[in-house]
Amino acid sequence: MYKNKKNGVWGIVITIVCLILIVILSNKESNISFFENIANKLVMPVQNGLTYLKNKVSGNSAFFTDISNLKTENQNLKQKNSELEQSLRELENIKSENETLKEYLGLTEKYGEYTTIPGYVIDKDISNYSKTIIINIGSDDGVQQNMTVIADEGLVGHVVSVTKNTAKVRTIIDTSSSVSCLMSTDKNSVVCKGTLDSNTQLKAMYIATETDIIQGDSVDTSGLGGIYPKGIHVGTIKKIVTTKNITDRYAIIDTAVDFSKLNTVLVIKNN
Amino acid sequence: MKKVVINLILVIIAYIIFFLQSNFFSWFNIAGIKPNLFIIYILFIGLFGNRVIGVTYGIIIGAVLDIIFNEKVGANLIGLSIIGIIATVFNKNFSKDSRITIMFMVFGSTVLFEVTSYFINYILFSINIELVSFIKILVIEVIYNILITIIIYPLIQKFGYYIENEYKENKILTRYF
Repeated sequence: MYKNKKNGVWGIVITIVCLILIVILSNKESNISFFENIANKLVMPVQNGLTYLKNKVSGNSAFFTDISNLKTENQNLKQKNSELEQSLRELENIKSENETLKEYLGLTEKYGEYTTIPGYVIDKDISNYSKTIIINIGSDDGVQQNMTVIADEGLVGHVVSVTKNTAKVRTIIDTSSSVSCLMSTDKNSVVCKGTLDSNTQLKAMYIATETDIIQGDSVDTSGLGGIYPKGIHVGTIKKIVTTKNITDRYAIIDTAVDFSKLNTVLVIKNN
Repeated sequence: MKKVVINLILVIIAYIIFFLQSNFFSWFNIAGIKPNLFIIYILFIGLFGNRVIGVTYGIIIGAVLDIIFNEKVGANLIGLSIIGIIATVFNKNFSKDSRITIMFMVFGSTVLFEVTSYFINYILFSINIELVSFIKILVIEVIYNILITIIIYPLIQKFGYYIENEYKENKILTRYF
């Protein structure tokens, strides 16, 4: 029967093993359900599908018409959805535009005495040591060098250079910036300089020896120096630092403008 | 042709760094301190390219940054050009394959760049010297730059050797024989 003896022996052994296994497994109830499960999994989905199809074809003639209806309905809904999305986008645009206009209006009303040009901050300095900003208005909009830049809360800085569509603004918190200011109660002048340490504080220096500095006092521009007009709010005195030598004392001023959140500015025209 | 592609990629990387610096790192910073990726960028060009390309990129990027953000051209231009020169010196004397060496190079370059540009700003704008604040910012910036280098160095190395093969093809053997 077997040309090769070895193969024959192996064939027999395997057959015997298979037989024994079938016998053992088939005599256990749990194993019956196991095989049943496998069989069901193999057969039942096909069976279900066939039954479903049979039912649909024979008993429910509306099936195919329903599909075409659903397709049209789906298409209509999709169109409606895209229209709604479009109008939502438009509304969002109008909303943000409205907020910007309100901001501009507030700014213009507050500084009504000045002729101003509104603008946006489009870039901030990448260095840790200087604090200049770039705004989206330039010589085409009437911006010129040394014009004062303000925000809703107060002074921002001045224009240092202009291109056709942009302007570079040195903020008052830049270390190379100096602003001549007046304290509101005392009316004595100080020089406010930017510091490396902070983006929200200035150092008020050259305080006259007879000056009484009051914590919380408002500090405004003095109009000296030829760049900043008089009376623009700069900030409030936070702390007075006294030194051994009274001439060296200085005050820390919290800037009115939050430079980290600065987005909208007004450039005051030089007239 | 390969050189054109390399330069094109380098320009695109410069653009990406610029936007990362002015937008992403404005909020992804350590105690308000941003890293300076342009230092790493020029250092890497000088290390893997040659002196000419390192200094050229240093001058161009420095000048562009000065024109965009500063009133006077100088601080970035000189600072980044020096980084371009220093990078070639580093390349001759140290191995680029060791991460520790690279970290020291970034440390040295960042300190050199910031001290140079601060000094130039002092001359140009007569700013007040605030040594403690300057050192505080410098330390954080150096750490931030080193951390970024550790993260991106495998990527830099791959592209770097591609540049090196193109720019130092004829000279590379002389280093070993």
